[in-house]
Amino acid sequence: MDVTAGGVEAQQVPRQSFLRRNHHYFLLLPGALWMVFFLIVPLAMMVYVSFWTQTTFAITPDLTLRSWQTFFASETYFGALIRTLRLWLTVLVITFLIGYPTALFIGQFVKNKTTQTILLVACVIPFWTSFLIRVLAWRPMLGREGAINIVLQDLGIISQPIDALLFTELSVIIGMVQIYVVFMVGPIAFMLARIDGSLIEAARDLGASSLTIFRKIIFPLSLPGVVVGAIFVSVMVLGEFATASALSGRKVNLLGNIIVTQVGSLKWAFAAVIGVILTVVMAVAITVLLRIVNLRREL
Amino acid sequence: MLELLGLTKLYDGTPAIQDVSLTVRDDEYLTLLGPSGSGKTTLLRLIAGLERPDAGRVRMNGTDVTALPAHRRSLGFVQQNYALFPHMSVADNVAFGLRYREVDPVTDDAEVARRVASMLELVGLTGLDGRMTGQISGGQKQRVSLARTLVTEPRFCLLDEPLGALDANLRERMTVELRRIREALGVTFIHVTGNEAEALAMGDRMVVLDEGRVIMVDEPDVVFGRPETVRVAKFLNAYNVFSGNAQGDKFGVGAHELPLPPGTQGAAHYAVRFDTASIARGHGTAPAGHAALPAKFITSEFMGAKVIYFLEKDTGGVVEVERHLSRADPVDYTKDEPVTVHWDLADVTVFDTDGRRIYSPEALAGAA
Repeated sequence: MDVTAGGVEAQQVPRQSFLRRNHHYFLLLPGALWMVFFLIVPLAMMVYVSFWTQTTFAITPDLTLRSWQTFFASETYFGALIRTLRLWLTVLVITFLIGYPTALFIGQFVKNKTTQTILLVACVIPFWTSFLIRVLAWRPMLGREGAINIVLQDLGIISQPIDALLFTELSVIIGMVQIYVVFMVGPIAFMLARIDGSLIEAARDLGASSLTIFRKIIFPLSLPGVVVGAIFVSVMVLGEFATASALSGRKVNLLGNIIVTQVGSLKWAFAAVIGVILTVVMAVAITVLLRIVNLRREL
Repeated sequence: MLELLGLTKLYDGTPAIQDVSLTVRDDEYLTLLGPSGSGKTTLLRLIAGLERPDAGRVRMNGTDVTALPAHRRSLGFVQQNYALFPHMSVADNVAFGLRYREVDPVTDDAEVARRVASMLELVGLTGLDGRMTGQISGGQKQRVSLARTLVTEPRFCLLDEPLGALDANLRERMTVELRRIREALGVTFIHVTGNEAEALAMGDRMVVLDEGRVIMVDEPDVVFGRPETVRVAKFLNAYNVFSGNAQGDKFGVGAHELPLPPGTQGAAHYAVRFDTASIARGHGTAPAGHAALPAKFITSEFMGAKVIYFLEKDTGGVVEVERHLSRADPVDYTKDEPVTVHWDLADVTVFDTDGRRIYSPEALAGAA
């Protein structure tokens, strides 16, 4: 009887209108519109434009594979892709090798939370000067008459200045590592600082040595930080062009540099091809990194 | 045998543990009772080797282990928050000590699996070995933590408030489980707790800790029935303790005088257990051989098998009386109703000015 009464009542409650039931979705509207007009539509346009026909001074919307063929057939352009990948992996590995021990020190060995924060902020201090100045400051350091060569010569370690320091791939790597290493340190230090000290005590009490504790407890628990850091560094390095052009004397061309030149000479279709390739490379890199850890479970 | 000899630990100059000497026997369940801040966790960490003492020694079976780090003592430490490794399954957590200990690790996977399985069976977690630690309940986490420690076969296992985070129902079950597991393995358990009922119920012997010092070590029924000092009586949360002074064979509490048992000159504290006192309506005189104290009724708490009455003395201060419903029916009083609390003079415990016991009832019936 209660059941029928309930049924009658349920029928008497007027159904709310569709709009009323779903009005919380309106909260998404501004963000969704922004993303559609400034991300999805441009991305689609980029893919579309990459198939347009490019002539020396004009571009027409007749679909062709010409730009794509040029890219993969050309030593210069395909070489730039390989160079970009090589430089990205090198910078990624070096930022990890420098960043992880730093983060380990800040996150695990500095017990005082205030000191931890101060050290992390200290890592960001270089960002108080402009990006361009930080990059260009490497020139007087690395150049033929630069600080490093002068010091090494004065110490008698070398007799001739080392030319390989500036305007080479090495100088680009040095510059990028210096700029991006902090993006590796931050997330790792954050994850390391969150590890409960009692876990390490428990592992020690169970008889594990410090190295085993690092390998089996600390490192696995910091892995989400490594992945987040690696994603930051990857996204920024893959799209880089300024460091490369400032420190390589335009000798080291990355995909980013080629886009800049092509856009400069109004080769929109070709720039779009490289844009698509760069986007795909980033998507693959991020997917691979996310495969390493399940961020949803760990964070 | 584990011996603590004059252990002292200072934090910023203030002693957390002062001159603690204690002998822990093999194959016993020792409970360590102390209020928060009494240094009980510090003492446990000193024994475990997670802290270094400022003075004193720790000896295991005659060998001095004071300088040995935690992982070189054959001690197990079950942390208060369980400290399970969140990135490992239940089985991997339990296997950790066997696989990765520095001294004599077990390299044979089949052997590890066999020992993990038998330990999980002992703690009642068979079938959960593949679960991640985030997918099990609080009581199960506690068992995993215990299994992880016990699988390494320590001779002494330290448990820091092991039942603290469990709900009442589970706590009762784990009380029985912990004793069963301990007896099955013959390991010594040193169980730290701030709960007097837990310390009394679980220990073969119990240690009472106060302000960093050991103030009594004995079997629970002795500690409960014949507390050595007035501080012990207060921690047990089972005694009404009146402070005052003796004049001849009378003990003055405010304006009232209580008769003292014979031979208790110099009494300074007078203690009556909640369950040995009775209540009579109105302000009357005590039956022969009884002491009486006028009070007024404040409130009562129904606890199922017993009722606890809260009364207020004329001079202020609460008096508690327990009435067991198997012995007597509950009585209703109105608020502020005048009553008289009375008790048999033979049931009182008396302490001198230093807080040392000078008179107590005979040992509980059945106690050795």
